[in-house]
Amino acid sequence: MSEEDVKIVGFCCNWCCYGGADTAGTARMQYPPNVRILRVMCSGRINPSMVLKAFKEGADGVFVGGCHMGDCHYDAGNYKWNRRAKLVEELLPEFGIERERFRFEWISASEGEKFQETMKEFADTIKSIGPLKRSTPQISTQAKFTAKI
Amino acid sequence: MEPQFLLAKAKDEELAKKGECGGAVSALFKYLLDQQLVDGVLTLTRGEDVYDGIPTLVENSEEIVETCGSLHCAPTMFGDLISKHLNDIRLAVSVKPCDAMAIKELEKRHQINPDAIYKIGLNCGGTVMPITARKMIEMFYDVDPAEVVAEEIDKGKFIIELADGTHKSVEIDELEEKGFGRRNNCQRCELKIPRNADLACGNWGAEPGWTFIEVVTEKGKTLVENARKNGYIDVKTPSEKAIAIREKIENVMIKLARKFQDKYLEEDYPAPENWDEYWNRCIKCYACRDVCPICFCKECDLEKDFYTDEDEIAPDPLTFQGVRLSHMCFSCVNCGQCEDVCPMEIPLARIFHRMQKKYRDDTGFIAGVSEELPPLYSPEKE
Ligand SMILES: Cc1cc2nc3c(=O)[nH]c(=O)nc-3n(C[C@H](O)[C@H](O)[C@H](O)COP(=O)(O)OP(=O)(O)OC[C@H]3O[C@@H](n4cnc5c(N)ncnc54)[C@H](O)[C@@H]3O)c2cc1C
Ligand code: SF4
Ligand code: SF4
Ligand code: SF4
Ligand code: FES
Repeated sequence: MSEEDVKIVGFCCNWCCYGGADTAGTARMQYPPNVRILRVMCSGRINPSMVLKAFKEGADGVFVGGCHMGDCHYDAGNYKWNRRAKLVEELLPEFGIERERFRFEWISASEGEKFQETMKEFADTIKSIGPLKRSTPQISTQAKFTAKI
Repeated sequence: MEPQFLLAKAKDEELAKKGECGGAVSALFKYLLDQQLVDGVLTLTRGEDVYDGIPTLVENSEEIVETCGSLHCAPTMFGDLISKHLNDIRLAVSVKPCDAMAIKELEKRHQINPDAIYKIGLNCGGTVMPITARKMIEMFYDVDPAEVVAEEIDKGKFIIELADGTHKSVEIDELEEKGFGRRNNCQRCELKIPRNADLACGNWGAEPGWTFIEVVTEKGKTLVENARKNGYIDVKTPSEKAIAIREKIENVMIKLARKFQDKYLEEDYPAPENWDEYWNRCIKCYACRDVCPICFCKECDLEKDFYTDEDEIAPDPLTFQGVRLSHMCFSCVNCGQCEDVCPMEIPLARIFHRMQKKYRDDTGFIAGVSEELPPLYSPEKE
């Protein structure tokens, strides 16, 4: 896999960050195609296991975007996520995953440009550190996939 | 409340004689059972030999005498025994600091009712794994482990007694330098005096034949006062000097624990590559999760099919221990149970303890000690 092909999973909350991605899209602001967006209702829906699962399944970087503090549509969801995100930051290096491969940000629905900039920056970071190489699991994701069909 | 210090001794001669120090802990248990203030007492009885501690529920106060004394080679855990099996009775329990820490976390999670339990704390300098104890007694004491009739830890030495009354002792420092002695998690443990229990009992600062008690809670205070009034214990005030000596020993022990934390959790901490080797050994037996007092969920994420793969022999560490870490590492009480039971000798408590320490540095939350739940559970906008 070349550096250009790095995969980034982006969890975006429905009400703000996903709206920001949409705004970027409608305004035709280009952002790297490496980012695959998953829409969730609120950043408070994300728990650390989902980030771990994304890395397990082959993500080279994981991004989580929520509303600005005070703007969460479920009141405190992003505060809760913020506390969990700090834990994720501590946890990843324990498994040999660089802290830089995980990023979270607060982006409103009108901030198309911030979304674009953030994605560019993050994709550049991931490209510069390269694809994630893990010694475990011993069975590759591909092998597992074919085994299941 | 302001801590209060006293020396206590069982009035019952047999308890005073058989007790580790003054038999005060046993006398308090007897009082609680006799007065029907509790339905049962959870303690440890000696099984076949000194390496065998059996958690026992005593309901008849006559039997308390059989539970007297400290077992240092019995690293048991009472927290989940209570939450899983003894939650429907009024209970008194002897607790090492880690037992008390686990109970505290379970109380906060409504798994143990704090109003139905008396926590009689025992100071703890550490416990030795039975298998380690046997090996080191053979190697360093040149004694057949089966010949040992009693053991004790005193003034930094692990002392054994033989049938003919002779004693042999070796410095714990020396044992630990060679990889024996107390469990690694005990070496790192900073809570030597269980101020998270109702009373903290020990031999530090005590006169021979007496138990030194630090009264921590109002409940503990009432218990000691009533046991005295009803003729179960004698009580006197320790000297200022005794209190100072105890404090000094405690501080030395805490300093030593911090040194071991630096060693095990920083200097000699396994690199990610070494962890990968450890994780590759895992046979996914779930023993670490089952034994962990903090892992109490009825439905565990580790068994959900989106985190498991049947064809994986060693589970992917990210979605196995990674998920378990993400659920509870911040509440790890460093009891060492996970590491003790792992059949593949993976040093699990190290990673959990290290993560709790980091969390503690970030948030101030001390698992098993802080009154409130970890801030991660907070619904607040903060
Ligand atoms: C592993 C261990 C290490 C200790 N280290 C220190 C120390 O470094 N400094 C200090 O001041 N005091 C220490 N103590 C406490 C001390 O040994 C006495 O237990 C305490 O002073 C009470 O004395 P007593 O005569 O009143 O207790 P007793 O009347 O003899 O009653 C002791 C009670 O503790 C229970 N018990 C024995 N072993 C265990 C165990 N492993 N886990 C849980 N319950 C148990 C017994 O079943 C009994 O009910 C330690 C105790 C233990 C168990
Ligand atoms: S993770 Fe291990 S050391 Fe920590 S509380 Fe659970 S069993 Fe004890
Ligand atoms: S790993 Fe998580 S879900 Fe499983 S018992 Fe522990 S805390 Fe509960
Ligand atoms: S006890 Fe050891 S072998 Fe068993 S699941 Fe836990 S880490 Fe794996
Ligand atoms: S709705 Fe956007 S973070 Fe909660």
